[in-house]
Amino acid sequence: MLTLVEKILFVIATLVSLYFTYRGVMKIVGHISSGQGKVDWSLIWKRIGDLIVKVGLFQPVFRFRLGPSILHGLIGWGFLSFLLINLADLIYAYTGFKLLNNTGLFGDVYRLIADVANVAIVGGILAMVFRRFILRPATLSTRDTTLLNPKARTGIMRDSAIVATFIFIHNTMRFLGESFGLALAGHADSWQPSISAVSQLWAGVDANVLVAGEHIAFWLSIGAVVAFLPYFPYSKHIHLFFAPLNFALKPERKSIGELSYINLDDQSIEQFGAAKMKDLGWEQIMDSYACIMCFRCQEVCPAYNTGKLLSPAALEINKRYHFNNGGTSDVPMLDLISEEAVWACTSCGACVDICPVGNEPMRDILDIRRNLSMMESAFPKQLETAFKGMERNQNPWNVSQGDRMKWAEGMSVPTIEQNAEPEILWWVGCAPATDARAQKTAQAFAKILNTAGVNYAVLGKNESCTGDSARRAGREDIFFGLATQNVEILNEVAPKRIVTTCPHCLHTIKNEYPAFGGNYQVIHHTQLINELVGAGKISMNLEGDNMKVTFHDPCYLGRHNKIMDAPRDGLKSAGIETVEMPRNGAKSFCCGAGGAQMWKEEEEGTTRVNSTRFAEAKSTGADTVAVGCPFCLTMMTDASKADGDSMQVKDVAEIVAERMK
Amino acid sequence: MKIIACIKQVPDSEAKVKAEGGQVSWGDAPLVINPFDEYAVEGALQQKEISGGTVTALCVGPESAKEALKHALAMGADEAVLVSDATLNDLDTVGAAKVLAAAIQKIGGADMVVFGRQTLDNGAGLTPAQTARVLGWPMLGLAGQIKVDGGSVQVERVLEEGRQSMKANLPAVLSVVQSIGEPRYPSFMGIRKASKATIPVWSLSDIGASAPAPIVTRTELMNPPAQETATEMITGETPAEIAEKLADKIIAEKVL
Repeated sequence: MLTLVEKILFVIATLVSLYFTYRGVMKIVGHISSGQGKVDWSLIWKRIGDLIVKVGLFQPVFRFRLGPSILHGLIGWGFLSFLLINLADLIYAYTGFKLLNNTGLFGDVYRLIADVANVAIVGGILAMVFRRFILRPATLSTRDTTLLNPKARTGIMRDSAIVATFIFIHNTMRFLGESFGLALAGHADSWQPSISAVSQLWAGVDANVLVAGEHIAFWLSIGAVVAFLPYFPYSKHIHLFFAPLNFALKPERKSIGELSYINLDDQSIEQFGAAKMKDLGWEQIMDSYACIMCFRCQEVCPAYNTGKLLSPAALEINKRYHFNNGGTSDVPMLDLISEEAVWACTSCGACVDICPVGNEPMRDILDIRRNLSMMESAFPKQLETAFKGMERNQNPWNVSQGDRMKWAEGMSVPTIEQNAEPEILWWVGCAPATDARAQKTAQAFAKILNTAGVNYAVLGKNESCTGDSARRAGREDIFFGLATQNVEILNEVAPKRIVTTCPHCLHTIKNEYPAFGGNYQVIHHTQLINELVGAGKISMNLEGDNMKVTFHDPCYLGRHNKIMDAPRDGLKSAGIETVEMPRNGAKSFCCGAGGAQMWKEEEEGTTRVNSTRFAEAKSTGADTVAVGCPFCLTMMTDASKADGDSMQVKDVAEIVAERMK
Repeated sequence: MKIIACIKQVPDSEAKVKAEGGQVSWGDAPLVINPFDEYAVEGALQQKEISGGTVTALCVGPESAKEALKHALAMGADEAVLVSDATLNDLDTVGAAKVLAAAIQKIGGADMVVFGRQTLDNGAGLTPAQTARVLGWPMLGLAGQIKVDGGSVQVERVLEEGRQSMKANLPAVLSVVQSIGEPRYPSFMGIRKASKATIPVWSLSDIGASAPAPIVTRTELMNPPAQETATEMITGETPAEIAEKLADKIIAEKVL
């Protein structure tokens, strides 16, 4: 189709474009490889199935903002089908051979797909432009108080406009070019209904004009791709390469919250945590290129939603704009996120969970905390008390280990000394063992175990804090000491199974102790309750008062460890009517205590995380909030008190124990 | 300025201390630096920050007391010395003062020796003054603020009756109280440095002292009488009725 001159010009234009694109891409490769760790390419093969779902079906996108996700689907699937269409167009332009007209039914169907895709992409992008530039939802930007690269405030909009223009031109021109071709051929193509319909408009147009139109359309559609390529490495649109790479190559994590292991016995380590961007893992640097700047993470962030300075989106955007402005990874992390924002994170993992491209802003924040706490000794003063407690008495409450079994006084709770080979080891946790309110959960669970005749034991004075709060506050050294000691004790006991009355203990023992040589089967107490109900070991008096309960998913139970049905089933078996909060399951909203927030005051904001969540619980019309975590228990109880004791707050174990026959 | 901070290792304040067979027992509670001595280290470090010089932490105790010295090093002390000797099991405060004074001389003296006001375990609060006596130096006790001016030191003493300013020539022995400032929390880097430090252990012969015979001895050790407590819930139809019953109870039990 193309003339010889056009062919030569196109090759030259493509080579120039590829050269500049290559330069841009090499810069990205340089930035990413300046991070810590190595790429494990073999992961791709293990994840093929996962990649089809995530990249092929855009499953992570559809988990949030359904309307825009559908528009994204129209454009994304359209472009996926365009990979072959553009190739066919190129072959036609150079040889005059129409690939898709000469491959039988496959070609026919693909022409139909192309016809639909062409319309879908144009429709999708116009709707997205309408949303971003006319409707301008607040969820596509951040507050003025957020630390955001000044160039990003306008840059994101400009980038969107450029990308939208490119997509619009590329697709409308391709569409028109095809219609000119059909008009020239003089017959409609029933496999390309919309293009055929438009081609009818050109009936009677001079053939020379149609040929010229076909050439112009080629240059504007395929030419747009060539023109756009060098800009690609600087655009957020490059997410379409880095999102798949993120899903394919992200190092394996046992859970979204499993943090990286540091060997504190290794005296050669000079830098702990991330002082600069280059101290982050390579994959964390890559996150900034995968980021499409949709601000979904910000929309689900409990800190941002309560007026704190933290926006996980802004962190990724700042990383990216720092590179775009010519910066290197030798930049202090605190230039990219404020210290106050770092300490506002509750490590709830909502940002990681919701991110449609698999980014992990929370991991960056916790790596920054490691640097602040260990290298700079710059952490909120209030955390000292918890740190001292964990250092001296192995628990953040600083309760003497000698008092660790006080909660069980007057009950028959066997320690491991009394029952050396239990079927299940109960890891009580510091809060249920020492906190006055949470002790009631421990007592209720002990009652359940004793009634069911479970062969269990507790570690008693040998049980220490798992170190969760220390780790999430950046004090990896304290965590390392506690983890090492706990794994030693647990390996000696060699429990068949472990049940915990705290999701933070569950998470740490299950996901983080394997790095210390501790591999255990760990379940949550609500899971054991379900087992006992299922096995007929306990039965419930179903004719109690008619409680209306809403279950608050603890972040480290639901989102981090995907245990969502067990607590609800536990309540159901107790004959309880449960109602769901708008945000539940994996999308549950934090109570505000995670990430060591339990041990400090909240950073300044417009409201408190726990009162926000409590208001949501209250909006369901339930009279009781059920929890499965001692931290949530404290936070929700405090919020209820502040609201005039308007709701009861109870652990699932307490509710079950009350109704047990 | 050369400053020595004298510290002791004691059972953690959360420990349940009790008498068992005439001996003190704190179960398996951890041993920590005497909390009052953390203020001594803090005071010493503050003076170092103002006037320059060095801070040496000095402790008399068993080998395990190195951990308490490491805490002082982690806080920022430059050096640490442990005096440990099998013959030092029954030290009274005078004995401790003699050993400390000998160790201070062995270190090569100091411009200022800082103590906490008392120890958490014995709590006599006598050792600072007795050490000053052995050394023949002035003693400024219960200092809340320290100000060094050339060859002299001025302190503000925090007393029940009020505050008192006192001045003495250096070298001097000081004991400090809480108002010196909250002891700094050891940084991880400090802890790491301290964990690598080698702490010299001196025996009595190293410091040229002989085991002081105790002049005060403990003859008996008893637990405090156990207090029996019981809880009784007072119930009633109305708050007024409950209050009336409660008032009757209080009067009957002769609480009021």
